[in-house]
Amino acid sequence: MAGRSDLTFTEVVQKYPELPRLVILKTDVQRRGVHYTASALSALDPDVHSITGTHIFGTRDGKIDARPESLLLRDGTSIITTPTPLDQHPYVVDLLDGRPFLLDDGKPLEEVDYWPRPDFYAKTTASGVPMKNIVSSRPQRLNIFPYRYCTFWNNGKGCAFCDIVCQMKKGKNELGIPPRLEAAEVAEVVGEALKEPGRFSAVFLTSGSITAGVQPFDDEVDYYIEILHEVGKHFTTPKYPSQLIATAFTKAQLERLYHKTGLMSYTADIEVLDEGLFNRYCPGKAEWIGYREWKRRLVDAVEIFGRGRVSTAIVAGIELAKPHGFTSEDEALAHVLDEAEELADKGVSTVFIVWSPRPDTTLGDQKNASLEYYVRLAAGLHGLREKYRLPIAFDDYRHCGNHPDTDLSRLLPF
Amino acid sequence: MDTLRGQEVRTLLAAPGTVGVIAAADAGGTPRLSVSRHLELLDDGRLVHLELFESSETSRNLLRALWFDRQVAVILHGANGHSLELQGKPVKAHISGPVFRHYYEAIRIRLGDVGLAAVWLIEPEAIRDDSLQTRRQTEKELFPFHLHLDQLAKKEGHRHA
Repeated sequence: MAGRSDLTFTEVVQKYPELPRLVILKTDVQRRGVHYTASALSALDPDVHSITGTHIFGTRDGKIDARPESLLLRDGTSIITTPTPLDQHPYVVDLLDGRPFLLDDGKPLEEVDYWPRPDFYAKTTASGVPMKNIVSSRPQRLNIFPYRYCTFWNNGKGCAFCDIVCQMKKGKNELGIPPRLEAAEVAEVVGEALKEPGRFSAVFLTSGSITAGVQPFDDEVDYYIEILHEVGKHFTTPKYPSQLIATAFTKAQLERLYHKTGLMSYTADIEVLDEGLFNRYCPGKAEWIGYREWKRRLVDAVEIFGRGRVSTAIVAGIELAKPHGFTSEDEALAHVLDEAEELADKGVSTVFIVWSPRPDTTLGDQKNASLEYYVRLAAGLHGLREKYRLPIAFDDYRHCGNHPDTDLSRLLPF
Repeated sequence: MDTLRGQEVRTLLAAPGTVGVIAAADAGGTPRLSVSRHLELLDDGRLVHLELFESSETSRNLLRALWFDRQVAVILHGANGHSLELQGKPVKAHISGPVFRHYYEAIRIRLGDVGLAAVWLIEPEAIRDDSLQTRRQTEKELFPFHLHLDQLAKKEGHRHA
């Protein structure tokens, strides 16, 4: 594959029969985005379905409107959708015989379900805030976004693909979402959410980086400890299924996090597996921690959380962004998988999300990678987990749903 | 599945002592079997199987069948000897929403402190009566060369009569 593959969805499915069509479809929908027709939106029922609102990141069309939060495929996995303008040729969600379907160029491909609404979305906290503005939900996961600002932006060094601050302002102005949550209020909502039988299998926490503290990021660590401690009061066991996506912390900080809370897994997103591109696209992370130190801290985390409990994510596709990225998808793939293997060998899983170029970001006017690239990347990262026997249950289709590579890992027997 | 066959399946599933076993191929093509803790036939003809464990071989093999459009088989065997084999394809796994919740609550009432990984829907494509009586009859009528001659031979009393 020289330069960039131009294979269509159907051609990729035919070329890789060993990979499930549904995972390839999900990947392509994430890659190209979706457009909901008026008819599809008419089937959206706020009493039954989860509706967009509390995303920590924005959409490709830059709007915060009432749309399905995301979609479920019939294999139980999710497509975390990014509403995308029609002129960018997204997949279309429309109704067929009264049921939502994914279509491409008018051709029905798959029936989908809108994410179901959890019971607690209808309630308010003791202080009168709608609970859905404090904690949000995926089909099996409770999402806590406690702090919607990232202090890397203080000196303009936010990540080049990220719109967290812009989205925070929109969320605050248009939806009344508090930028910083109170631990007790988070715990109140979690307690209410747990009343729904079978609905949730994990607590998930992420926020922007907070550089402040005696040691850099101590305040961020303390804040997570406070929240996880409060949330933990609802459980009978000292540890509960949970994932934190946070800054790469020092070993001392990680030990505090692990020993003082019920946290069971840890993720620190390196965003791109190439030192030069990391320095360019993640200048705040580079300034405060650095690429090699980020990796060292991930490996340190394995000592504390254990193999199969630590991961890092990449925003796949930015390694090909012009003019500084790789010019060939083959070359990019080989490089990314090489670096991911170094981490896998030390017990750290790499997962990817499909890069959605968003309008309020530095790289917002670029295109993401080809479908074939993403499919090969998914197979490659899954293959590394198989080779190094790295479980990824804490970040799989049930607990996240945003990683085509961990969808493939559903077939792993460990 | 026609109405009569559907009723036959429902009756068998409702009978005390009926055991349901699911067979699905693993990555190497080897058939793997497991007892289903709950099977049910829906009005639309789909079979519901409750898979309690995400980590089970059956869970992976049902997913493999759904992903790669392969068949699985379910055998129902009643205490009265009535057996039915259904072949079909897994078409959907509910992991959230009202259907999931309904079965999650139901299975916990029935089995106590258990979890539920997914509510699998299997679309039957063929059904076969595997009861001893039926199979014996079929063998006699359609495969006479498979019989042992002593089964056809006159008994002592008959020979001397």
